[in-house]
Amino acid sequence: MGTLLQQIINGLSLGSVYALIAVGYSLVYSILLFSNFAHGSFLVIGGYSCYFALKTLGMNIWLAGGLSLIAAGVSAILTERLAYKPIRERTNVTLYLLIASMGMSIVIENIFVVTVGGRFRALPPVIPTDPVNLFGLATTSAFDLISLVVAVICLGGLQLFLTRTKWGLAIRAAAYNLRIAGLMGVNVSRLISLVFFVAGVLAAVGGIFLSVRYTLYPQLGGITIKAFVAAVIGGLGSLPGAVVGSLILGLAEMLTAGFISSQLRDLVVFSLLVITLLFRPTGLFGKSVGEKI
Amino acid sequence: MSAYTEGIITLLMINAIAAMGVCLLTGFTGVFTLGHAAYMALGGYATAILTVKYHLHWLPAVVAGGILAIVVAYVIGIPTLKLMGDYYAIASIGLGEAIRLILENWQSVTRGARGYPGIPTFTTMPVAVGFFLVLAFLLFCLLHGSYGRMFKACRDDHIAAALLGYDTARVRVLSLVLSAFYCGVSGGLLAGFLSFIQPVMFDMLKSTELTAVVVFGGLGSLSGCLLGTTIITLVTELFRPISQYRMLIYGAVLVIIMVLRPEGIMGQYEFGPKLFRKLFGRKAPAQERR
Amino acid sequence: MAFALELGGVNKFFGGVHAVNDMSFILQEGELAGLIGPNGAGKTTIFNLVTGVYDVSSGHITLFGEDITNHKTYEVVRKGIARTFQNLRLFASATVLENVMTACQQHHRYSFLEACTHLGRWRSVEREIRDRSMTLLERVGLADRADQIATTLPYGHQRRLEIARALALEPRLLLLDEPAAGMNPEEVQDLNRLIQKIHADFGLTILVIEHHMELVMEICPHIVCMNFGALIAEGDPEHIQGHPEVLKAYLGEEVEE
Repeated sequence: MGTLLQQIINGLSLGSVYALIAVGYSLVYSILLFSNFAHGSFLVIGGYSCYFALKTLGMNIWLAGGLSLIAAGVSAILTERLAYKPIRERTNVTLYLLIASMGMSIVIENIFVVTVGGRFRALPPVIPTDPVNLFGLATTSAFDLISLVVAVICLGGLQLFLTRTKWGLAIRAAAYNLRIAGLMGVNVSRLISLVFFVAGVLAAVGGIFLSVRYTLYPQLGGITIKAFVAAVIGGLGSLPGAVVGSLILGLAEMLTAGFISSQLRDLVVFSLLVITLLFRPTGLFGKSVGEKI
Repeated sequence: MSAYTEGIITLLMINAIAAMGVCLLTGFTGVFTLGHAAYMALGGYATAILTVKYHLHWLPAVVAGGILAIVVAYVIGIPTLKLMGDYYAIASIGLGEAIRLILENWQSVTRGARGYPGIPTFTTMPVAVGFFLVLAFLLFCLLHGSYGRMFKACRDDHIAAALLGYDTARVRVLSLVLSAFYCGVSGGLLAGFLSFIQPVMFDMLKSTELTAVVVFGGLGSLSGCLLGTTIITLVTELFRPISQYRMLIYGAVLVIIMVLRPEGIMGQYEFGPKLFRKLFGRKAPAQERR
Repeated sequence: MAFALELGGVNKFFGGVHAVNDMSFILQEGELAGLIGPNGAGKTTIFNLVTGVYDVSSGHITLFGEDITNHKTYEVVRKGIARTFQNLRLFASATVLENVMTACQQHHRYSFLEACTHLGRWRSVEREIRDRSMTLLERVGLADRADQIATTLPYGHQRRLEIARALALEPRLLLLDEPAAGMNPEEVQDLNRLIQKIHADFGLTILVIEHHMELVMEICPHIVCMNFGALIAEGDPEHIQGHPEVLKAYLGEEVEE
C-alpha cells in the first residue's frame, strides 16, 4: 500500500510538471492552431539559464529562477518574431509553421550542444530532495511535493490571469477566433507575443524541475514529446484537458515504472497516444474545429 | 574512381531512395511525417537478420525489408491516417520512437542497442545505383499520371477530392505504404553498406534529415528532392570535420527555407522543358498544345 | 420509375441550431430545378447532407431509388452525384486541364503496374483522359487556358472550370451551389445559357442553389424555396413569385401601424 501511494504521488508530481509544459503548448495551439515543436527548447533554455545563474553567477534559487523564466519567455517571443511571424503573414499553410518550428527546435538544442557541450549537468542542490514521511502512510521525496505545489501555484496563477485580467480575456477571445478578436481592437501582434512569453515561462518552470529530476542536457527538450502526447490525450487546445492528460500520463508512467518495468514506461506513453488517436482523436476535452464547406 | 568517391555515391543513392519515399508522402500527398527513419530501421534489421542468420541472398532480403516496412505501415497507417495535420505529425514521432524502442529492447532478435554486426557488404556502387534508377523511374512514372494527380488532389483539397469520388483516407494509406517501402529498401541497402546497424542510427536526427531534404528541395518536386539530397549529402561529407554542426545546419536550413522560400528550391517544377522555359524563355503562348 | 432525388423528413441540428427542419421534396429524373432562399436558410447544408459531408440528424435521402442517407462522401459521389461549391474548391497547384483530368480519370483507369511503368494501356488511356477533358473545356469555353494554373483564372472562369470538372465525373445528378455568385448580369446570362445547354446535351438532372432570382426564375421550371431550414413554398416560377411566404422571406413583413 505504501509503495502504491508513493508511486501515485510520484506520478502526480511528474504529471504536474508535464502539465506546465503541456498547458503552454496547448495555449499556443488554441490561438494559432499549430503545434509549436520548438516548445521543448524553451524548457531547455530555462534549465540552462537557471544552472548558470546558480553556478557561475552564484545567485540564490529565487533570483536564478526568475532570471531563467524571463530568459525563456524572451526566447519564446524571439522565436515567434523571427521564425513564425514572417511565415504567418505570408501564408496560412500550417505545414510550413510546423516545419519551421521543427527547425527552430533543432537549432536551439544544437546551439547548446555546440556551445556548452552535451554532457549531463547536475543542478546545485538548491531544491531539497530529502525523504518526507507522509502521515506514516508513505515516504516520498520533498522534491516531489515541492514540484507538485509549485505547479499548482503556477497553473492557479495562469487561471487567475486568464479569467480576471484584461489580457486574459483577450487571450480567451482570441482562442475562439483570432481574426475577430483583432477586429474588436485587440493588438494581435502583442497578444501573440504575450502568449508565447507565458508559454515560455511555464516551460521554464517545468524545465528547472525536470533538470533536477533527470539532470540537465541539451536533449532534455525531447521530453516535451510526452507533454505533446498529454496535450493530445486531453484534447489539443484545451487547457484543462492538458492538465488532465498530463496527470494521466504521469501516473501511467510512474505506475508502470514502479510495478511493471522501467524500460516499458515510454512504450506505455506511446500506447496511450495510439489508443487516444484510435478511439477519441479529439482527446478528452478537445474541440473539433469544423470547416465551413 | 576512388573507393572514397564510390562510397559517397553509394551513400547518396541510399539517401535518395529514402528521400523519394518521404517526398511522395509529404511533398505530393501533404502528410507531414517525422518518423520515417523507423521504416528504414525495419528494412535494415530485416535485411540484416535474413542475410546473417538465415543466409538468404541479399536481393530478396532487401525486398523483404521493404515488404516488412509496407506491412507495418499499413497496420499503423489505417487508424492514424484518419487524423489530419498536427495530430498525424505527433503520432508519427511517437510511432517512430516506439519502433526504435522496440528494436532496442527486443534483444533476442535484434541484439539491442549494441547493434547488429557482421552484415555482408553487398551494397556496392552498381547495386545502389541500380536500385536507385529502377525505383526513381517507377516513382517518376507513377507521379506523372493518374496517381500523381490523385495524390496532389488529396493534398490540395481533401474535401474537393472526396467530392470527386476519392477515398482520401485510402489514398493516404497507399502513399504511406509506398513511402515505407522506399525507406525500407533504403534501410536494407544501408545495412549492406555499413555492415553494421544500430537503432540509434534511425532516430529523430535521421527522420528530420529526410524531411529537411525534401522541404529544401521542394515539396511537390521529385527532382527537387533528389537535388536536395545531393546537396545535403555532399555538404555533410565535405563538412565532416564539423559534423557536430550538422544538426544545427539542418535545423537552420528548415527555418530559413520556410521563411524565405517555403516552396523549396524547385517549387513545383521538375527538371524538364517547362522549367527550362520558365527560367530562360519568354512567356509560353496561351494557345500552346503539348 | 425512381425519383432522381428524394428527401424525406430530413432534419439537421448543429448543437442547438436547427439548420434543416423537416425538409421533404422530390426531383424527377431529368429535371432542372432550383433551390432558393435567403442567406442562412440551409440550402448549402442540404447539399452537404446529400453528398455525405454531414450526417442527417433524422430523415432519409434516396438517389435514383437507392438510400444514400449518411453514406460516406466518396461512396455517394460514385453513385452518380457531382457538385460545385459556393466558395470554389479548385486544386490550386494544378492547371485548368489537370483539374478536369483529375475528375475524368475516375472513369478511365489503368492498373497500378501500368501507372508505374507507363507501359501497356497507359499511353492510350492518358490520351483519352486528356482528349475528353479538353472537349469539356471547349464546351465551357476554357480550352485556350488549359495550361494555366487554375487559380490564376478570373473568378467567372474559375466557376466555369468547376462546372467542367463536375461534368467530367459523368454524373446523373449535378448540384450547383451558387454558380452565379459574384457575377454581373451579363455573366449571369451566359451562365444561364450554359446550364440550359448542359441540361439539354447531357440529359442530366440538375439542382441549382441560387440567391440570384434572375437565374433561377428564368431557367428552372421547378423551384423549392426554403427559409430557416424549412420548406416554405414549392412550384413553378409564377407560383413562387406570387407566394406570400416567399415575399416575406426575401422582403420582410410590413409593420402594422
